[in-house]
Amino acid sequence: MSIEVTLNGRPCELAAASDEMLLDVLRRAGARSVRLSCGVGACGACTVLLDGEPVSSCLLLAELARGCAIETVEGLVDDVVQRSFDELVAFQCGFCTPGMILTARHLLAENPSPTRAQVREHLNGNICRCGCYPRIEDAVLHAARTSEERR
Amino acid sequence: MNERVTGAIRYSQDVERPNMLHAKIVRSLAAHAQITRIELPGGIPEGCVLITAADVADCRPYGCLVPDTPVLAETARYVGDPIAAVAAPDPRLAERLARAVAVEWSDLPAATDLEAALAADAPVVHDVCEVASRRGAWSGMRPIDGTNVSHRSRLIHGRGEAGFDEADVVVEGEWTTASAQHAPMEPHACLAEWAGGRLTVWTGTQTPFNLRRELATAFGLAEADVRVIAPPMGGSFGAKTFTRIEAIAAALARAAQRPVKLVLARDELFLTLNRHPTRSRVRLGATRDGRFVARRVWSWWDTGAYADTGPNVAAKGAWAAVGPYRFDHVEIDADCVYTNRPSNGAFRGYAATQAAWASEQCVDMLAERLAIDPLELRLQNVLRDGDRFATGELMHDFHVAECLEAVAREIEWDRSRAGVGLCALMKGMQTPSRAGARIELADGRLTVHAATAEIGQGPTTVLPKLAAEALGADPRLVTLAEIDTDVTPFDTRTTSSRSTHMMAGALGEAAEALRRALADELEAAPGDLRFTADGGIEIVGTPASRRPLASLPALSGEGEHVIEGGLDPDSGQGIASAHWHQGAGAVRVAVDRETGVVEIVGLAAAVYAGRVVDASRAALQNDGSVVMGIGSALYESIEFSDGQVTNANMGDYQVPAFRDVPAFAATLHELPGAEIHGLGETALPLVPAATGNALRALGLAQSHLPIHPERVLDALDRSGA
Repeated sequence: MSIEVTLNGRPCELAAASDEMLLDVLRRAGARSVRLSCGVGACGACTVLLDGEPVSSCLLLAELARGCAIETVEGLVDDVVQRSFDELVAFQCGFCTPGMILTARHLLAENPSPTRAQVREHLNGNICRCGCYPRIEDAVLHAARTSEERR
Repeated sequence: MNERVTGAIRYSQDVERPNMLHAKIVRSLAAHAQITRIELPGGIPEGCVLITAADVADCRPYGCLVPDTPVLAETARYVGDPIAAVAAPDPRLAERLARAVAVEWSDLPAATDLEAALAADAPVVHDVCEVASRRGAWSGMRPIDGTNVSHRSRLIHGRGEAGFDEADVVVEGEWTTASAQHAPMEPHACLAEWAGGRLTVWTGTQTPFNLRRELATAFGLAEADVRVIAPPMGGSFGAKTFTRIEAIAAALARAAQRPVKLVLARDELFLTLNRHPTRSRVRLGATRDGRFVARRVWSWWDTGAYADTGPNVAAKGAWAAVGPYRFDHVEIDADCVYTNRPSNGAFRGYAATQAAWASEQCVDMLAERLAIDPLELRLQNVLRDGDRFATGELMHDFHVAECLEAVAREIEWDRSRAGVGLCALMKGMQTPSRAGARIELADGRLTVHAATAEIGQGPTTVLPKLAAEALGADPRLVTLAEIDTDVTPFDTRTTSSRSTHMMAGALGEAAEALRRALADELEAAPGDLRFTADGGIEIVGTPASRRPLASLPALSGEGEHVIEGGLDPDSGQGIASAHWHQGAGAVRVAVDRETGVVEIVGLAAAVYAGRVVDASRAALQNDGSVVMGIGSALYESIEFSDGQVTNANMGDYQVPAFRDVPAFAATLHELPGAEIHGLGETALPLVPAATGNALRALGLAQSHLPIHPERVLDALDRSGA
């Protein structure tokens, strides 16, 4: 079947089997930053934003994304969170990084000036096995400050 | 922007080849069984393949130390042992076919844990002497005939156990550790392709040259006919070492005559490689005033169904159990034991985690007995430059005492010791070993060819930086090429925190060689050449000699760094490590007296780093080690029932998340001008042992790792608190 979505701002039609998860369909469509890790929604590596809300694409039937706006890091342009992760080197292997960035964007959209505790709370569903947590917290807080200065 | 941040990085799971098939492994449901029949009811669909042990009968068993691992097993030796594999044009079809495969088997008696494997009448997992005698087996093997002990590593120093007669006090205890999963975010993935009798494998691996050799062994090829291309990994921590899934993909590709890609599902990682569960008995003797006299250790390392690097882990565990201390007498037996479990092998902290958990708690037992401050006791006995270690080595560039003092200050040891524990340790680097590197100049760019695998630890940044430093060039001109065993110089492997140290030596030589080549080209002395900021080169003092690098022909320089050493397996004497990874840790805990839950409320780790090449990435590795150490201390444990893993997913096997990690102080002690020291693993083993000692300080001593709330409750009950 064919599923109409908006992927990173562009309308497109995704071909999918009825029992296929969004993750596989997005990867086939070229969004290779969306990655399978745990397969049970416990690690956050496959996170995408669906109408602005973070979801685990490994658990979401592609069909349920019909008509939604899907955001992956491939669609980011001049993004303050992404730049902050880069400048502070808030990553090691990079496998979890896209999911981290998207979840952090969701946080800052809801709460532009979070405390460190709020960052930890919001990102708690995203696992970084390399253990970059303190640096990622710094990067998200840095992004929040940078956005504030811009405003 | 870094390709990890843009998402543009491509791992081995992203590799694709025209007409490739997707594979799925069929695994044994029995812990020990003779497989009698495997078939696909309804037949194999066109364009798909099913292979069993019969299809790889011509292949030889492989293994990094012991050739005991078949490509596919006819005798299954653990629940999850690969016994067949399918490949199909679509990954979902491959999965469906694998599930549909019908298997018949007859059960054999199984030894599914250390206790069962060490029992007098234990079922034998392998004929250890037969395995040890095979061609290609490690010559240091010391199997014990008729048992499951594939290797006994011995260390004797001074009068050994007899030296306890010089001790005024003796303490002794027994400690155990559970199995743990590396749980890299990226599951194992590889793609195998045959062309013209040559095998090419794309795979995320820390050990491309070991893999090349093992695949050559398995398929009866010359090493030159195996090509390993190693894309960056999404984490590994030891999981992606030696041959893991590559031989199965290669066998499928051979049968299908098409490229085959194999990507593991999360649960399969728990069936592929884990950390050694252990049991250790440690005895420590000292004089009344606290001088260490003698240490005796017996340890058992459950290596699972195939030895992998287990004998080497046990050997490292032998001297790691001595700890960073002076002793007059030491005697250690460390047994590597086969069981009917998934293989256990290299894991960040390599043997030091299990060894420190036991030995460092034994130090605190002694401190308690002698009523001596645990910090003072350690400082009194810790090795210092010029001392001899139990292996006979003379210590140099040794800073454990400073690390201990640093963590004691950080945790405010002098203010309050309630619920505070310490740990000190040293760890070694793969010795002997060899690292090669080449720097090429072409089209105005400098490219480093070196087989240091990118796991996330940062060689993509650090190696070009080292090369640029050695050449005196701008690091932005230098990039690291992808590993390809056809073109990349030989390197032992990316393990044991050896790579920055070793590659600094190799790249220094390569840079010298390239400068000589440049000097020939420019008809100048190598020392007179200077790289300019705008991507040119000139003869010092003659600006007119300046030429853009892009105008030069292709030139290259190659270098190698070699360290000698190694230990005698019967005495443990020799060179264990060319330099030492050193650290100390301090942990403050709070215990919930209702639930037994232990919370780490203060944590300091100090690691000696020598010279640091990239401060930001070095700090990330040190921090990451601490975070992984918290998981190892408090909850990471693979659970088994009759040999079957019962928590093979990241819901039931929990690794630390943001909120599990308290604020902590992890520091790297730099010494400008010193050698580069490995630092990627040292902090991990500090955390469990220091946490154990913190509970001991509260009268709630724990013998089993990870520390489980129920056992803490038992200790609370016993203490009557």
